[in-house]
Amino acid sequence: MRRRTYLKTAGAATIAGLAGCAATPTGNGTDRPPRATIDGTPSGTLTVATYSSFTGEGTAGNYLKQAFEDEYPNVTVEFTVPANGVNQYIQRKRSGASIDADLYVGINTDDLVRADAELDDSLFMHSQDYLDRKDALKPALEIDPQGRAVPYDTGYISLVYDESAIDAPATFDDLLDPTYEDSLITQNAQQSDPGKAFLLWTIDAKGEDGYLDYWADLLDNGVQILDDWQPAYNAYMNEEAPMVVSYSTDQVFYGADADLTRHQIGFIEDQGYANPETMARFEATDQPALARLFMDFILQPEVQGQVAERNVQFPAVTDAQLDETFAELAHEPPEAVTFDYDELQGNVEEWTDEWARQVASK
Amino acid sequence: MFRWVERAALPAGVLATLATLAVVFYYPVATVLSEAVLDAGRPTAGPLREVLTDPFYTGVAHHLFVDPLGVPAGLLDWIARGFPDVRLGLFGFTAYQAALSTVASVVLGLPGAYVLSRYDFRGRRTLRALTIVPFVLPSIMVAVGFVAMFGRTGLLNDVLTGLGLGRVELLYTLEAIIVAHAFYNAPLVTRLVTTAWESVDRRQVESARAMGASPLSAFRDVVLPAILPSLLTAALLTFVFTFMSFPIVLALGDLRLATVEVWVFARVQALDLSEAATLATLETVLSLALTYLYLRYEARQRSTSGAGQSLPRKSLTVGWQTLRSPTRLAIFAYGVVAVVVFVGPLLSLLVESVTAPDGSFTTAYYEFLLAQQASTAVGTTRPLPAIVNSIVYGVGTLALAVPMGVVVAILATRGGRGSRLAEAILTAPLAVSGIVVGLGLLQTMVFGTVLFGYRLTAAGPIAIVAAHAAAAYPFVTRNVAPALGGLESRYRDAARSLGATRLRALLEIELPLIGAAVLAGAAFAFAISVGEFDSTVLLAEGVDSYTMPVALERYVNNRSLGPNLGPATAMGTVLLLVTGLSFVAIDRLGGRWEP
Repeated sequence: MRRRTYLKTAGAATIAGLAGCAATPTGNGTDRPPRATIDGTPSGTLTVATYSSFTGEGTAGNYLKQAFEDEYPNVTVEFTVPANGVNQYIQRKRSGASIDADLYVGINTDDLVRADAELDDSLFMHSQDYLDRKDALKPALEIDPQGRAVPYDTGYISLVYDESAIDAPATFDDLLDPTYEDSLITQNAQQSDPGKAFLLWTIDAKGEDGYLDYWADLLDNGVQILDDWQPAYNAYMNEEAPMVVSYSTDQVFYGADADLTRHQIGFIEDQGYANPETMARFEATDQPALARLFMDFILQPEVQGQVAERNVQFPAVTDAQLDETFAELAHEPPEAVTFDYDELQGNVEEWTDEWARQVASK
Repeated sequence: MFRWVERAALPAGVLATLATLAVVFYYPVATVLSEAVLDAGRPTAGPLREVLTDPFYTGVAHHLFVDPLGVPAGLLDWIARGFPDVRLGLFGFTAYQAALSTVASVVLGLPGAYVLSRYDFRGRRTLRALTIVPFVLPSIMVAVGFVAMFGRTGLLNDVLTGLGLGRVELLYTLEAIIVAHAFYNAPLVTRLVTTAWESVDRRQVESARAMGASPLSAFRDVVLPAILPSLLTAALLTFVFTFMSFPIVLALGDLRLATVEVWVFARVQALDLSEAATLATLETVLSLALTYLYLRYEARQRSTSGAGQSLPRKSLTVGWQTLRSPTRLAIFAYGVVAVVVFVGPLLSLLVESVTAPDGSFTTAYYEFLLAQQASTAVGTTRPLPAIVNSIVYGVGTLALAVPMGVVVAILATRGGRGSRLAEAILTAPLAVSGIVVGLGLLQTMVFGTVLFGYRLTAAGPIAIVAAHAAAAYPFVTRNVAPALGGLESRYRDAARSLGATRLRALLEIELPLIGAAVLAGAAFAFAISVGEFDSTVLLAEGVDSYTMPVALERYVNNRSLGPNLGPATAMGTVLLLVTGLSFVAIDRLGGRWEP
């Protein structure tokens, strides 16, 4: 429960000079606005929309704001936390209301798929090719074929289990074994990120035609499907079951000194489901250059280390400067699986719906 | 001139009430519900037909819509097969759990009303004031308390295993949901029935007894008719609330126990607004129909209770003889159950707020609140502004909802053709789900409405207070209308014949006579404002207008102390304290006001 140590990083002068930087788009032929540039010293207010646990004391958001404002004294970063996330902006755009934010931090692949399905014009604009740090990104995390959403960290969905009570299941079929009866807590895939990731993982393993049968067996074996990560994890901590679907960075929360018996990481089929978190500039922003500067800033090696540690996720770049204990406690799965944008498009909604109906009919 | 103002006051009040409702309730809700019946501006029955004919939603009842002529044959076949289990569908299951929840709430709440209205004991008035507390607790908090109380490693199991009685496995089952619903609604039953029971005129009972009626038949003929309307009000409200239950089912149930409202929420999340609106429309039609039927019943029951002297109360403890009185022993047994269900979760919450995960004592969570208060970081949710905002909005809601509620109560008691229908429509805020209201407010007020080429937006405190008042005033009405209806008309007639206007008669004669009911309604209005979450979180977005429940939810997501609910339980304890003190204050201050 200790507070993660706050490493003061004076915004190092790793940012290249900005004024006049320009690059030619190298995209796939779609129409893109030219790379926005800043003349002189960056200034103004940057409004960043995000989720609530990204802001406040001790969070990645607060660190980013301070570090960015230290680097660019004429810039103010403001966070806004819409109650219903990306949906807020999809609905705003659909009803013609203004979008008073420049950047959204915290978009999942399925958020992007939903935004594109619901809207005629894209909510977000292209960024990837205009970023100075684009070559440092881990290619596996790049979810958006149109380069709008750029990853800034990722979690790997895995099992967290109590080694004093149970052995980790090696395969998905093991979970159907009587040994694991009433042992697993997962989350509602309709509204929970890890829950949805776990469902998609089973679809990857059992196929589009097989996952519903698999879940029928899983339900018969007493899997518990709670609302979201927090209640599920809370139930796990209260010993309602010896396993929970969570993240493979679980031990980072507790630190090396803690008793980690109840925080063992289980990778089913030696896999983990990667759930990259991305950021994207709103098409409606009037600060495209400043927003791009902020994106590049988040991808700096030492900033990436801070974001990863404070957000308890893995960094999105290959050269992040991470604390040693983080590397020790955060477990990366031998094999990462994930559905990319094209695979989710037109499918994710139906998969989730069919699954939820089957569960609720039980 | 003044008489003119006085004459105009009541119609103006009605208009102001309607205008407020139109802006913060009817228009927003209509924008959502219209998705169900409009397709690109043209009326359509498609979405409704789709839901009604889908066995997932309507279970066995879908035959009614798919093949109505085949129903008799199907029914005969079902009987011939020996009444096998039928599929209830989502609507059927939702009604089933709501019915069970209502029964549980009445069974648990009614004895409480009996004890509070018929017995005297130290702390009775405080206890009576506190019956409203569960009603304001945000569901996330109740869920935390329930987990701490009824979980595998919870307080109850600790006590049970300590006594060698074995464990109960309650969480994430239908039973857990029903107990949680009873936790919320049994105090509502207690409160409404206590108010009615206290206003039973002792003279009527005494004259019944004097004419030879046994205590039992005096109860049946005088007391029961007087308390029945309030009991049915409470039962109906419980059914409607639990039918529309959503956060508790999400928090304490498993997805297998999903209700219609949970589905509406999921559809909204998926931006499938048409299906969400269709489900919400059906839900609203069902609960409005129930409300209407109830109001018709209530109208016939009015004018039975008087505003005379209330019944004398007996002493709860009578020394050693207490142990020989079967009624009192039964009351103490009931007390034990009440402690487990009501005090248990709240006590567990307090214990959680000072207990580290390893079970040792800690003040870390309260230090967290202080650190949040002292923090200069942007985006920090500070506890003090949350407390202040909650109280300010609560008082604002009180100021708006009490006049609105009284106005509607006057309309309701006047009777006349269509007044039940009008009342049902005016009571609609009770019968429309929080998700629909929240979504409507988001689409209209927060996003803004285009009028004459200008986009009008109204977020912030005013909108929050208006939304709270719209949610709260039906409780004022439900408290005031029966009392107003039961008031003997000769007081008003006397005042009127002496030349008082309708308004003066109301303000100076009628309202003081039914002060207890107005206060009960005021307490409800305040309570609803303090506990409201869904629309507050939408309207408080991005500004410093967050309330205690919103702060609490943000602390749930704050992981600076690791993944635990400690900070949220500390904030929950503060919320409990502030609201508890407020209600005791409202009740006590009200005592001076009572005639």
